Amino acid sequence: MSAALPDWLDPRPWLDLARAADPSVVERSLRSGEPGIREFAALLSPAAASRMEALAQRALALTRRHFGRAISLYAPLYLSNYCPARCTYCGFSAGLRIARHKLTPAELEAELSALKHLGIEEILLLTGDRAAVADYPYVRDCVRLAAARFPNVAVEVFPMSVDEYRGLAVAGCTAVTLYQETYDPVRYRQSHLGGPKRDYHSRLDAPARALAGDIRVAGLGALLGLGEPRFDLLGLFQHATHLRRTFWKSGVAISFPRLRPEPGGYTAAFPVDQKFLAQVIFAFRICLPDVPLLLSTRESPRFRDGMAGVGISKMSVASRTTVGGYDLETVPSGSQFDIEDHRGVAAFCAALEAKGLQPVFKNWDAAYREDTASVEAAAANGQI
Amino acid sequence: MDLVVNGESYRYNGQATIADLLRECQAEAGRTAVMVNGDVVRKSSFDSVSLSDGDRVELIVIAAGG
Amino acid sequence: MTDGLKLGDRIFSSRLLLGTGKFSSTDAMIRAVRASGAELVTVALRRFHPGRPVDDVLAPLAAIEGLTLVPNTSGARDAGEAVRAARLGRELCGSPFVKLEIHPNPHHLLPDPIETFEAAKILVGEGFLVLPYMPADPVLARRLEDLGCAAVMPLGAAIGSGQGLTTMSMLKLIIRDASVPVIVDAGLRSPSEAALTMEIGGDAVLVNSAIAAAENPELMASAFAAAVRAGRDAWKAGLMPQSDVAVATSPLTAFLAGGEAG
Repeated sequence: MSAALPDWLDPRPWLDLARAADPSVVERSLRSGEPGIREFAALLSPAAASRMEALAQRALALTRRHFGRAISLYAPLYLSNYCPARCTYCGFSAGLRIARHKLTPAELEAELSALKHLGIEEILLLTGDRAAVADYPYVRDCVRLAAARFPNVAVEVFPMSVDEYRGLAVAGCTAVTLYQETYDPVRYRQSHLGGPKRDYHSRLDAPARALAGDIRVAGLGALLGLGEPRFDLLGLFQHATHLRRTFWKSGVAISFPRLRPEPGGYTAAFPVDQKFLAQVIFAFRICLPDVPLLLSTRESPRFRDGMAGVGISKMSVASRTTVGGYDLETVPSGSQFDIEDHRGVAAFCAALEAKGLQPVFKNWDAAYREDTASVEAAAANGQI
Repeated sequence: MDLVVNGESYRYNGQATIADLLRECQAEAGRTAVMVNGDVVRKSSFDSVSLSDGDRVELIVIAAGG
Repeated sequence: MTDGLKLGDRIFSSRLLLGTGKFSSTDAMIRAVRASGAELVTVALRRFHPGRPVDDVLAPLAAIEGLTLVPNTSGARDAGEAVRAARLGRELCGSPFVKLEIHPNPHHLLPDPIETFEAAKILVGEGFLVLPYMPADPVLARRLEDLGCAAVMPLGAAIGSGQGLTTMSMLKLIIRDASVPVIVDAGLRSPSEAALTMEIGGDAVLVNSAIAAAENPELMASAFAAAVRAGRDAWKAGLMPQSDVAVATSPLTAFLAGGEAG
């Protein structure tokens, strides 16, 4: 494995600590003023699990310090579920018979209108792995349409080249999310059986390519339960700090996708329960106090309400994981995974406000950015 | 020829090269850096670069400080 | 060598750099340099006046084994002057190092970030190992690092201010985000401050006045050397953290009891 893991990534020096830190090390890590990977590893350990309230208190204090009481909200929109990959855990796998669809421009416009009507200002556009029918030009065109309506357009699609990312940035894309799924190359190979997604290294380096291509924020994550969680979480921590050090003008954000038991479906090899997920989120907040941490509607209402503002600073709302589905006219096709929190925008915002949190639909920094349309016109004229 | 050395007028009656000037000033070639008209002259060129009337020369050495 | 200070392609075992100015005599300076164990010292450039002998420091410094001279561009008021000074320094010292110091204001002597940036750009291009003296600004530090400087040298306090490490919080940010060594320069009044700088993760310190102006510079130099080693070892050993008072509210984790349901 050592040949496959770059030095900046290799989590193995801290694995023993993460698996079995001494309670005294956990205490020191909890109070450290400058926590690093050592402290992060200790906070992932079983000994830290018996200090959950203390971890939560520290996570609360740090979330308040860096994010105030604001929770930033966004909605995901699946553009296409065509996918050549065969990921053992995914509902879009090429090996599965599901209704495949990709949104036409008219359908996309309808979905965007529906989302805008809900009050959403940030959307996350998703596709499967790179497919002929939903390749870079399709994604770029969708970004352009979306950016005309939404000040914040993120994508969670397939790894691209620096030039492609730059094209997305010019089209109005502000963030790229890409989960490594697992940082363990062996486990990665076992889980990804087809399509371009088999390439571990290309995927690993894609967030760096995005930031090099003028994308402002790289969203990272590991699919919890796929590989040994502590290994993947240490790798995720290393990935985040490596990108921040290399691309000091850009941001990173971290999400926590978790394999949930599905009746008759894929069973996680290393299931992660809610309590450990909470511990993980607290550990990230304590050790990376100023990095946005995201939680999706994959988690239950009770869990989301509990974690909002206690580590978590950004959340999706009113989600659909089918292609289309926000606009009542569009027939939704093939979902990627099941959602647990079905609350609409109003209900979710009310829940946040009841907790003393402020839901935020951020739309103001777009006013500072160069008008994308005029940038593209200038490019077409050879002026830039 | 008339030179300006370290900001002061200097009437120079010696031979034309920098190496010669350094010898006349009792400056050690190995320990002195030279600028002529704002350009640094490499040590290896001291014997070959000639001075002309009106040249502004700076003789620089290491001193305690910094 | 384990735990060496890496500057460019050179590795040094001492993390204490010395300035050679302000000593009562060349002899006192040389004894202090030897006592400090420093492997890098900064020197200044002066005009050589015909007929007026200058106290030669080059020869006695060259006699100290393992010592690398770093010419300082102090006196330069803009990038052009600093670049010229660096080229002269390279002719004289034979080392690729240059301490880039540009302070246009003769009172507070604070470094000019814009001229420093411009000079660094040129000098890195000419193959110098640039050590830029800079305000303790984390963004400027990354900018200079991106240019290719071999290290960054943020100030601990304004030269001669005698105020101790006033830029501590900024230094921590610089240290956290730097991929090149961070050498804290100026404002270090005592060995304990040098130790503190190393304890927060600084890679090296540069000291001049605190040693030169001491009653016994030679002894003070060895004290600083011991402090730098102590601070570095403390940082490696992992300091006990100060306690942090958490926000006291009602239990935050009650919602996790009872398993996954809901």
